[in-house]
Amino acid sequence: MAAPEKTSTSAYQAAQPTTELASRSAAGRQLIGLLTHEDLDRARDRWRVARARWTGRSWKSLGGLRVLWLLMGPGVLVFLGENDAPSMLSYSADGARYGIGFFVPFVILTFVMGFIVQEMTVRLGAVTHRGHAELIFDRFGKFWGMFSTFDLMLGNFLTLVAEFIGIRAGLSFFGIRPGIAVGGALVLVLAVITTGRYWTWERITMGLAIFNGLFIPAALLAHPDWPVVGHALATWTPLPLGDRPQIALLVLSTIGATVTPWMLFFQQSAVVDKGMQPRDISAGRLDTLLGTVLAAVFGIAAILATVPLFHHGINAADFEYAQFAQALVPWIGHIGAALFALGMFEAGIVAAIAISTSSAYAFGEVFGTAHSLNRPLREAWPFYVILVGSACAAALLVLVPHAPLEFIALTVNVIAVLAMPPALFFLLLLVNDRELMGEHANTFWQNFAGVAVTILLVCAGLGFGIATVYPRILGG
Amino acid sequence: MNAGRYKDSLKNADRELDADAAASARPDLKDPNVVLSLLEADQVVAAKQQTRFGRRSLSFGVRLAMWSLRVYVIVMFVIVVISVLRALHGGG
Repeated sequence: MAAPEKTSTSAYQAAQPTTELASRSAAGRQLIGLLTHEDLDRARDRWRVARARWTGRSWKSLGGLRVLWLLMGPGVLVFLGENDAPSMLSYSADGARYGIGFFVPFVILTFVMGFIVQEMTVRLGAVTHRGHAELIFDRFGKFWGMFSTFDLMLGNFLTLVAEFIGIRAGLSFFGIRPGIAVGGALVLVLAVITTGRYWTWERITMGLAIFNGLFIPAALLAHPDWPVVGHALATWTPLPLGDRPQIALLVLSTIGATVTPWMLFFQQSAVVDKGMQPRDISAGRLDTLLGTVLAAVFGIAAILATVPLFHHGINAADFEYAQFAQALVPWIGHIGAALFALGMFEAGIVAAIAISTSSAYAFGEVFGTAHSLNRPLREAWPFYVILVGSACAAALLVLVPHAPLEFIALTVNVIAVLAMPPALFFLLLLVNDRELMGEHANTFWQNFAGVAVTILLVCAGLGFGIATVYPRILGG
Repeated sequence: MNAGRYKDSLKNADRELDADAAASARPDLKDPNVVLSLLEADQVVAAKQQTRFGRRSLSFGVRLAMWSLRVYVIVMFVIVVISVLRALHGGG
């Protein structure tokens, strides 16, 4: 079913009447009677931003920081959320199998790609006030919308399962039984959403996300050779050698640790739920940049923390989450290994919160039901059912004996990368749609960067495909 | 209203909004006009439900690209399954 066509006014004009018009016109008066709890909470958040902007005029720097503090969240959360259990596993595998070399600068490149892509979602959300799934359905119709949503939901569910595998494995280092670890994590996910307020949810989740930084002390305890790190950053060498198909898989997995479809959907929906407006785009960019830098530093820390395994010839080819921490004990000590395991747990829990929320947002946008963390349970129960239900299903699957967990852990990042080009194509079409975006549409250089990222991802996928089907071509 | 005037009107509205916000210690959110003054009109949930963006027309090139990428994803998913099955069975 196609979305209803608008009247003769452009979509941009029709969607952007001024507040004054809204409150004085008949339609505006009608809106007054239809205000929801979500509108009130959002208005409260907007008032705090407006007040911070006003008071910041006499104390420019501090006021600016206060505005940034109020507006930050979606960017930091999406990047620290994407530094999830499978991503940290990929980084750990990079360090343990190939040491300090190609993968250190390569991770930075993937985060640059991530920033380019995520910045577009900030603009889309702030200008249109619509989520990504909703825009795809509206502008491209149900057929393409369903494809896109299917990719998202499949990827999200597999990733959620991988998060709970990471949670279970991370806590197993401390001798916590799987049922208690997974159940406890589920309770935490539930506790965070019971606030009924986007702002509170965001701050609690950001508070948890900052513990992604536990990989930094773990890396320092591994005593990295800083000149070698500098040399790797400058020269991208030494290149990884050995089994080419395995290297192709690891390269793809490392890209998938930073650039994935759920991030597009999540950040745009979070920007909308936060109530960001076009004049907040600069702050949204800074928020995204901060998230990018933090996540890149923490990701590289995970690589550096596992380098001792490479130097001591430990075969990490088949390592799973907790095994890295256990194997690291002789070189970074119990405290370092415990920090590493806790980091793995944190990576899983924050991503589980963000990804289940991403699924719930997309469901609400597609089916037109209430989809905001500012809504109480009674008003948006389908949203919360999807959020909790997806987390519960993933958690239960992790506890099922003989479930194909290894399959899921191996594929989740790779599937994310392979599903990304179509998602990026939709994103580029939307962000170049001047009827939607007006003056905030992509510039030439933003398009150049966006297209370059898309082509790179397609090439990476094709390289992986060739290496898999014809391993001898690459000498594997 | 052209884009330039629209932008100016938004800036003026922003200034007024900031001044109002600074003047009031806490907004009276029981007053719907206050709520509406803090939000852009299409941020209001009811307005969003009433206003949908229409379908855009897709050129042949865009549709071709969409289908190509869809085929790419399906083929790649098959390759992932092959790859994982090999890995799980130790076939490298």
